[in-house]
Amino acid sequence: MRKYVLRRLLVAIPSLLIASFIVFSLPRLLPGDVVQLMLEERAYGKDLDDLRAKLGLNRPIFVQYFEWLGNVGQGHLGESLWTKRPVVEELTRRLPVSLKLGSLALLFSVAIALPIGILAAIRQDTLADYLFRSVAIFGLSIPGFWLATLVVVLPAIWWNWSPPIQFTEFSADPWAHVAQFILPAFILGIASSAAIMRLTRATLLEVLRQDYVRTAWAKGSRERSVVLKHGLKNALIPVVTVLGIQIAQILGGTVIFETIFGLPGMGRFLFDAINQRDYPVIQGINLLIVTVIVLMNLLVDACYAFLDPRIRY
Amino acid sequence: MSTLRMTRRHLLRAGFVAGATLSAGTVLPRPLRAQQPKRGGILRVRGYDPPHFDPHQTLNFKTNNTLSFVYNKLVRHRVGAGVAPGTFAIEPDLADRWEEPDDTTVVFHLRHGVRWQNRPPVNGRELTADDVKFTYDRFLTEKGNPLRFMLDPVDRVEVVDRYTVRFRLKEPFVWLLHMLANPTGTWIVAREVVEKFGDLRRAEAAIGTGAFILERYEPNVKTVFKPNPDYFRQGQPWVEGVDWLVMEDEAAQLAAYRTGQVDCAPWHQWVVRQQDLAELKKSHPHLMYQDFVSNVTTGFYMRTDKPPFNDVRVRRAISHALDRQAIVDAVFLRGEPTPAIGRGLAEWSSRIDQLGAGAQYYRHDPKEARRLLAEAGFPQGLKTQLTVTGGYGNDVLDAFQLAQRQLKEGGIEAELKVQEYGAYMATTFAGKYEGMALGPFSISWEPHTALYGMYTPEQPRNSSHVADAKIMAMLKEQMRTKDIEARRKLIFDIQRYAAEQQYYVYLYSPAFTGSWRPYVKNYAPNPSFDYGNRVAALWLDR
Repeated sequence: MRKYVLRRLLVAIPSLLIASFIVFSLPRLLPGDVVQLMLEERAYGKDLDDLRAKLGLNRPIFVQYFEWLGNVGQGHLGESLWTKRPVVEELTRRLPVSLKLGSLALLFSVAIALPIGILAAIRQDTLADYLFRSVAIFGLSIPGFWLATLVVVLPAIWWNWSPPIQFTEFSADPWAHVAQFILPAFILGIASSAAIMRLTRATLLEVLRQDYVRTAWAKGSRERSVVLKHGLKNALIPVVTVLGIQIAQILGGTVIFETIFGLPGMGRFLFDAINQRDYPVIQGINLLIVTVIVLMNLLVDACYAFLDPRIRY
Repeated sequence: MSTLRMTRRHLLRAGFVAGATLSAGTVLPRPLRAQQPKRGGILRVRGYDPPHFDPHQTLNFKTNNTLSFVYNKLVRHRVGAGVAPGTFAIEPDLADRWEEPDDTTVVFHLRHGVRWQNRPPVNGRELTADDVKFTYDRFLTEKGNPLRFMLDPVDRVEVVDRYTVRFRLKEPFVWLLHMLANPTGTWIVAREVVEKFGDLRRAEAAIGTGAFILERYEPNVKTVFKPNPDYFRQGQPWVEGVDWLVMEDEAAQLAAYRTGQVDCAPWHQWVVRQQDLAELKKSHPHLMYQDFVSNVTTGFYMRTDKPPFNDVRVRRAISHALDRQAIVDAVFLRGEPTPAIGRGLAEWSSRIDQLGAGAQYYRHDPKEARRLLAEAGFPQGLKTQLTVTGGYGNDVLDAFQLAQRQLKEGGIEAELKVQEYGAYMATTFAGKYEGMALGPFSISWEPHTALYGMYTPEQPRNSSHVADAKIMAMLKEQMRTKDIEARRKLIFDIQRYAAEQQYYVYLYSPAFTGSWRPYVKNYAPNPSFDYGNRVAALWLDR
């Protein structure tokens, strides 16, 4: 197992390096560079060149990349070109917000999807199955931002209540801090849970038709044991794969949800940085997201090995 | 006889007293009559995340809105409940008086005893004329200051003594006071702060003489302002603090206002969008509402230095193709077609029917548009590119799409190219585009800025690449004309000429409704970036 994880870890390094070059170079391809934006529409004469030189953006991109990579290796992600705040400092503040939102969303997603997927599979073609599948299709079809908007707007109109607009730090009020994540995480988790639920149902149905499951039934095992012990463990492999993909999707979804619910996470930071062409910030956040996704996929790979020992070899 | 005289005198006196009482009762604004200022409470309002905090390196409204709490200017626009939206009367701020010894000299006398906020490196020292000189020297020399054009006519600023500064002008410039009162970029800053931080981009560098001290900036969350105990206007600010909340989602903003989480309406300028107004008024009739027309103009700009837009017939055809009122009615519900000066600046903005010969081009007439195009050599109509951005919100994008359809009916097929906001600002808005572009492009607190930047060759704000000697001569003349009525006539003449030439095809100034909770006293909406002075003057009576 250790050898397997180590091997996956080694594969992750070139992935990260390639990703680092992509996250460094792609923002430079966007039309309108940071210098033009900083000087806005009223730039005078050679101000553009002067500022570009001051920010070190006039050097060849490879020189800039290797310098940046060297700094990343030492834990420095540079500072915002606009606010001059260190990117690491900002990320340290924001990463926990996005991670809390993302993990809670994932938790909701799995907590909703697995039981319903299992129930739908073992009650195939019953009213409950049809109902669950319909709900899943509904969940897949509804855009998350629309649902989030309704959740904010309708209670305000009907009951004069809306989610708190001011972000509360954990140190100020732990309960209020956790509470403000619940609603966005739940909605963010819904779309993701629909996909997982459908996959759980489909794979479990397939597994339940396998010979070894029939043997378990023939041995007189109880339903719970057949489904959960013999069926579910094997059915989970593709589900875990999709979970890995869902993590990336959930992280992407945080941009909109953080804006709607006023959460100061990485998503909003990234959105602003892209608008301002704040290259060090864009690079820093994207590198972090890529790292999180690579690590999560590493975890998924490790889960495979746990679920199916044959995968280790 | 004597009895009669006494009676008449008594009668006159009684009549005078009664009249004065009644007049005061009807003339004084309600909040001033209602009560005395009350201290306390935190004002929670929609705020912004500034891209940075240096007023001399941006014209971004988010920076200037935020800085208005911290800094002062030499002069300012009047604030308070008695101020009608769209009026920007000038009154003393850091300067308590000024004089103009000749056409090219303006001398400002500073208030005595104004202190910088008690924070390092200024530590509450007194504001002096050196600070004013440092500020304007920096304003005029800071690389990339996008607002430098505002003070182009200023030759130099001189310190006369500790409390007196003299502005020497290159040429007569009647708008100098207005430029110094302009709520963008003209805040007075301290040399030590610039030297300590290198520039003023960090939040920690926002140290001024203003009513509020920037206590904490939490990006994407809020800026917390606390009262400046040394503020020179006695008693102000009345509130104990301001939570300047970052709220970017429109639905969440309105929900927050409905549910009492903010004290003033949550859209830009603390207004309610017309689309939301009827429903809000129905459910929340107790809130305060005040209508006003925006001083922002939105419209088309085009490469008038190149064919086909160098032909006035083509530009007039574009104008004829557009049904401005239909766009206002469909998207903004209320508002007005606008000439070169936004209709919100009523004192200086010409009504469309006052535009003389230029007024005819505001008539929606697709047939005439096609005729003009044919005359200009495009009998089959004209194909071009129309660049816009979605960065101004959905309403504006809806208006753009409607305008695109109207152009088509007039024989102009404009292929819509939607740019991401950053790319739009850096390329199209900076004049680097082909064909036509469409967007909000000027805001007027006085008429000069909107006209000068947009019609002067070589000015980066001249998005339509206009080079017209006649309009330049008129602009120069109004800059020198002291007599207000003569100047007004010139400004109206410029608007008439601009309407005839259609270098910019101006569309509309939308109407908004300012709204606030009844316990917010001595406040009136006004489309200005100077929130700080307005907030310093208000109080909360919960």
